[in-house]
Amino acid sequence: MEMAYYPGCSLHASSALYDIQCREVLSRLGVDLREITDWNCCGATSAAKTNDFLSIALPARNLGIADASGYAEMVIPCASCYSRTLLAQKTLENDKNLREKINVELSDKVQGKIRLLSILDLLVEKAKSGDIGSKASRKLEGLKPACYYGCLQTRYPMDMQLPDDIENPQGMESVCEALGAKAIDWGYKTDCCGASASVNDSDVALKLMSNIMKDAVGRGANCLVTTCPMCQMNMDAYQNAGGEKYGVNERLPVYFITELIGVSMGISSVELQLERHFIEATALLRGLKLL
Amino acid sequence: MPSTAIQYQAEVSTPLLQEVMERSGQNLNACYQCRRCAAGCPVGDVTGVTPDRLIRMIVLGDKEGAMNNKLVWQCVACYTCGTRCPNNIHTARITETIKQMVKEAHLKPLTPKIANFHSSFLTSTSHFGRMNELEFMGLYEVRNTKDELVGGGGLKAVIDELKTQARLGKTMMKLKRMHFGMEKIKGLSEVKRLYKKGTEK
Repeated sequence: MEMAYYPGCSLHASSALYDIQCREVLSRLGVDLREITDWNCCGATSAAKTNDFLSIALPARNLGIADASGYAEMVIPCASCYSRTLLAQKTLENDKNLREKINVELSDKVQGKIRLLSILDLLVEKAKSGDIGSKASRKLEGLKPACYYGCLQTRYPMDMQLPDDIENPQGMESVCEALGAKAIDWGYKTDCCGASASVNDSDVALKLMSNIMKDAVGRGANCLVTTCPMCQMNMDAYQNAGGEKYGVNERLPVYFITELIGVSMGISSVELQLERHFIEATALLRGLKLL
Repeated sequence: MPSTAIQYQAEVSTPLLQEVMERSGQNLNACYQCRRCAAGCPVGDVTGVTPDRLIRMIVLGDKEGAMNNKLVWQCVACYTCGTRCPNNIHTARITETIKQMVKEAHLKPLTPKIANFHSSFLTSTSHFGRMNELEFMGLYEVRNTKDELVGGGGLKAVIDELKTQARLGKTMMKLKRMHFGMEKIKGLSEVKRLYKKGTEK
């Protein structure tokens, strides 16, 4: 089936590998992603923090384009883009005045039709239906992932119907199970890694991240897995700095969930672009004879 | 009789409280100081002021305290306080509102670095319709350098900052995670109109 797709800026730049993986893995699961035309930046956390109107209006333009695309559903892999877009859709559903104020500027008006899916929503569906299990020919035995959700996969600044538990979500664990990997149980899966502060308030960001690392390491995880490119980039690029500053000696590869599924499907590390990680990400998989 | 409790005076409190409640969409009056938010706040030990304290300052009409504390700026927008609040108050929305009030009042942000980061992100997005990481970071470093040199950490802070970013940039280049192309959308005029609407008074 075909589905509308919003990659967001990060998947067109520093996390381009995630874009490639999403397309490949989902295509093998029978979902062809159709990138919506001429999308704009959702404004992310920065718009939310600095301009209430733009924090809704920027994702609204993308919602209008998605509504006009004719697809029933749109998948958004980036947790930040997903969160901001979903919030805009819900806000505009309840606020006709604001919708009118924004729509008058748009050539594709927000209609509120398109159903938004996070990548995890889609993958959990595919794990439940057995599609992931049947395509995952290589069982990920020996991999002990700490499933890391971060903030935006489960928490929103307004009431939201959620498919998973806010404090102890299990969606990613169910995907790992379908791949034959037993995810560890731990306490920091929804704690903030400080990604939005990594550049501008680095002491805070490094401390938050090292708290997460300490628990993952202490509970015996041999890697982290995430769906959010902000978390991935932060935990990957700054792990050495955080570890040095706050006394964590171990280093864990930080996988996108699409990488674990891809490896399990037998997709090569070159195709998955696993060499683009800051913390070396292939040695663990090779050691377990998964690559 | 001496008292440690701060007096609540409706006529002092109401203007600030009303404005914050309307703009953030949060009912601050519902707060009964259970401090669940404080227990879950990941930056509370750094900021000193926790969400419950910020709410209390606003309820008491302490405008100076509410607009000039670390929580407003160092809040990482993790939304833990809001999802755990038994009365459904999202304090992250309140910190977002106060940041905007500080800007509108032309007050100096307590942590210019954080303010520059988010304003540079939005400015960069308004140029092309998409956020181009290099342009965004360039803009941020220019603004940050200016603030560090004028009343900030001085030349040393600037050099440390640029060294850190250069190191990250070098690694990103090696890992092919640096993106040099500038993506520009066709509907940029539409986005510019939204920016105009969002910034006009």
